[in-house]
Amino acid sequence: MSFLTRIVGKSTSFSGIRLMSVYPQHYVEPIVQKDKQIEQKDELTKLHHIPIKAALNKSSDTVFHDDTKEKLLNYITKKGNSALARTLLSKAFELIKRTQTERLNLAKGDKDKVITNAEVLLKQAVENCRPLLQVTAIKRGGVTYQVPVPITTKRSYFLAMKWLLEAAREKERKVSLPEKLAWEILDAAHGQGRVVKRKDDLHRQCEANRAYAHYRWS
Amino acid sequence: MKMIRNRLAVQLQRHVLQMSMSTNAAAAAAPAEGAAISEFRTAVTNPGEHSALQVAKFYTIPAEQKKQIFAGGGLPKQYEQQIKTFTEACLMVRNPALEVLEYIKKADLSKPVVRYLLYGENGTGKTLTMAHVLHYGALNDFLLVHVPWAPNWMKRPKEASNAAGQEGMIDLPFDAAAWLVHFKGQNSKLLQRLELKTSKEYVWSKRESTPAGSTLLELVEHGIARIKYASETTAALISELKLLSTAGKCKVMVAIDGYNAFFHPVTRIFSDNKQRVTPDKITLTHPFLNITRYDWTNGVCILSVDKIAMTEGHMDSYMPRYLLGTEGFEHLDPFVPIHVENYSDKEFHSYISYYLDRHWINKTPQGFEEQLKFMSNKNPYALMQLVRAL
Amino acid sequence: MANSLTRFWGQGSLQKHVVQTGLRGFSSQQNPEVEEEEEFRVLSLRTVKQQFQKRREVKKDPVTPPRSNRMAVDQDWTAAWPGPRSFHPASVPLPLRQGFTERGAAAPSKFANAELMKIPNFLHLTPPAIRQQCEALKKFCTPWPKGLETEAKWQRHFPVEVITTDYLQALPTIRNPEARRVTVSLKLSDLKFDAHARDKFLRLVGDRYDKDTDILTFVTDRCPLRKQNYDYALYLLTACYHESFVTEPWEATKSEADMEVYLFGRNKSKLSAEEILNWNAAEGAPKVEPSPSYGQSVEQLINEGENEYNLTKYKEEVKKMLNIASQ
Repeated sequence: MSFLTRIVGKSTSFSGIRLMSVYPQHYVEPIVQKDKQIEQKDELTKLHHIPIKAALNKSSDTVFHDDTKEKLLNYITKKGNSALARTLLSKAFELIKRTQTERLNLAKGDKDKVITNAEVLLKQAVENCRPLLQVTAIKRGGVTYQVPVPITTKRSYFLAMKWLLEAAREKERKVSLPEKLAWEILDAAHGQGRVVKRKDDLHRQCEANRAYAHYRWS
Repeated sequence: MKMIRNRLAVQLQRHVLQMSMSTNAAAAAAPAEGAAISEFRTAVTNPGEHSALQVAKFYTIPAEQKKQIFAGGGLPKQYEQQIKTFTEACLMVRNPALEVLEYIKKADLSKPVVRYLLYGENGTGKTLTMAHVLHYGALNDFLLVHVPWAPNWMKRPKEASNAAGQEGMIDLPFDAAAWLVHFKGQNSKLLQRLELKTSKEYVWSKRESTPAGSTLLELVEHGIARIKYASETTAALISELKLLSTAGKCKVMVAIDGYNAFFHPVTRIFSDNKQRVTPDKITLTHPFLNITRYDWTNGVCILSVDKIAMTEGHMDSYMPRYLLGTEGFEHLDPFVPIHVENYSDKEFHSYISYYLDRHWINKTPQGFEEQLKFMSNKNPYALMQLVRAL
Repeated sequence: MANSLTRFWGQGSLQKHVVQTGLRGFSSQQNPEVEEEEEFRVLSLRTVKQQFQKRREVKKDPVTPPRSNRMAVDQDWTAAWPGPRSFHPASVPLPLRQGFTERGAAAPSKFANAELMKIPNFLHLTPPAIRQQCEALKKFCTPWPKGLETEAKWQRHFPVEVITTDYLQALPTIRNPEARRVTVSLKLSDLKFDAHARDKFLRLVGDRYDKDTDILTFVTDRCPLRKQNYDYALYLLTACYHESFVTEPWEATKSEADMEVYLFGRNKSKLSAEEILNWNAAEGAPKVEPSPSYGQSVEQLINEGENEYNLTKYKEEVKKMLNIASQ
């Protein structure tokens, strides 16, 4: 385990500065959410003379907006049909909520344990599915080795969502995507299911191939 | 790695806690079961006792009554789903239903039947208004003649065959039998108690007949058992009901949802020569047109006209005369039109509170109610669609 | 002539001869002068100033100050400007300005201002001028008829308006083809109709009737003379009016589908309402009729089209008729 922690420590040192950004470095990120603006009112007054980046096109302050959700939406979308993706995802959320709400309403006592918020469940599922390492093929002396390498945070989120979606798409024809996606998210949120297993498998492989780790740099 | 995991877990927990706190705060008004009733609920479960005091409040239909009345349909599919999710059958007391109930309560039943016509935009709650009134009827010894969604017969019949006796007519035996089952389910207790008898003998074929003086239950059961004669049985049953109620032996409540389907220019049923037939060529249409005439007493008719009962090209307006057409208007006139509108502010707020109480809305940032109000235009169905992923 | 001659002198000798012969041809007056010169020819290599004849000065009359300066304040304007005339700056004692300038500059004054001259003016039609002319004409007029003092009165007594136009023109003929046109117009409300006749009349006259103003207009120009056209217009009016009261036998077969408007009286709605109202009535008891306001509400609902207002009205009427408790 100590080996993994060490590598993870290195991976976090990747800086988030984008060198090719349109904005100079002294520009600050905008705050779109109104409640956050009110919350940080005192701090924001300090920003009076500091230039602020323009808000992103997709950012929004509605109840319907959530960053993880929007990201997953982008991954679900096929051929630019994001309207369809949105309906699919909201159907999946509805199913998750139905299952959880029914469970909650039928539960005798200890109702706080059941989470009915589908977005929270999705976040939990994604966190549970995030890998810390991945293996990459490196050829040394005519032999290809599967070498464990650290991955960035961003990529780990991407992989988690990609795996969730792949698991959801691998289904019978009669089962709809929202249905399967809802199952997978619920399973993953509880730390079970195929996606979590996939992550654990990857970790196990990395652990097994730890001896090849030095091929990364030598 | 453990540390990171722990940090994440803590963050997550905090997040979840926050969420649950907010929902708890919202649901704080809703106490645990058995305690004082919350603001948006009413303990009055008898629709007969509902008055303006209960407007915009939810009342619960007891499970066995719900099963008796709505087992064969009568609630929209998505509402049924919601009932299952929320593990309780709640209906909001709204003005249109109260209006109809008041008319019915004060009506002089010795006068010819009054037809009440619910109309309104898509998704404003016509069917649920009807459900509320049906609940009243079931509790007040009305025999229910209830068609959950008439366009089903014109748009997607289970089977269509040529009627035996009448030239050029189309029978829908399975649908008729299904309706008889629905009728029996709703009224079997009342029928047993009232012991209504047929007035004349019905001869179905050379061997089969229902003698005069047999009970209506026998008639219905015959129709269910011999599906071939289900349509004729329906016609016989309905004419018997008219006679009996005119004679004062029972009270009848007719509730037909999507009534304008009976006057639609065409159906999706094809005749032998591969032509679409008109609704009046379907045997099942006539008994229900018959019972919505004014020539009988001791009953009420609650009908609804709906845009989605029509097909493409006939859905421009939700107004009753447009949807009924000239013929339908003449058939119904004089009727009492009742407009079912979108939620009022009070009703909207009450519905949001209910959703929060049932943990259906989990995100409650500042001003979310305003956002939902704006997005849905206070339309019940639109609201239901919007909150499904919240 | 003298001028042209001197100009010719200035030029080379080559041309001179030609000029002389040319001159001889058409001007015998100049002959002695020419001959005089031939006596002694001085060689002059340069043009000498004395040879130029002095140009005659054009005598211009001094510009008199504008007449308007001398005009008295209380002068008789009708005498100063008696008839229609294009604008003349000196005659009009008004500080007029007209025309386009660059921004900020004042508009050109009235002197030598074509803008002012182009536009028609009505300086001869001042109120005193008109009053004067009316006074002059008065002795030829008859008094205004009694009883027609107000517009309402004369419109009641003379509902038909006849419009003809006379033309004055500068052509070899004094006749203008447009002069024969006669326009006869009247308000339809001045004619008395029953429902059928009115409907038929409107169909007969077609687009000659304007629904918004309720005015019926006949324009006739098919006959060569004005008199004939006038007679024809009145004939049309009379014929249409009387024809509209004729009911043809086939009109009785008009079915509901041919109706232009929904009439409560001839529809099933009335029968239904009657039957409901007379439900269980004793034999021979007086029949209860549905109230006219109910009929009106149905007609309104169908003829005007459905809207919330009409439907609510219909609902109220139905509730009143069926004795349904109002909320």
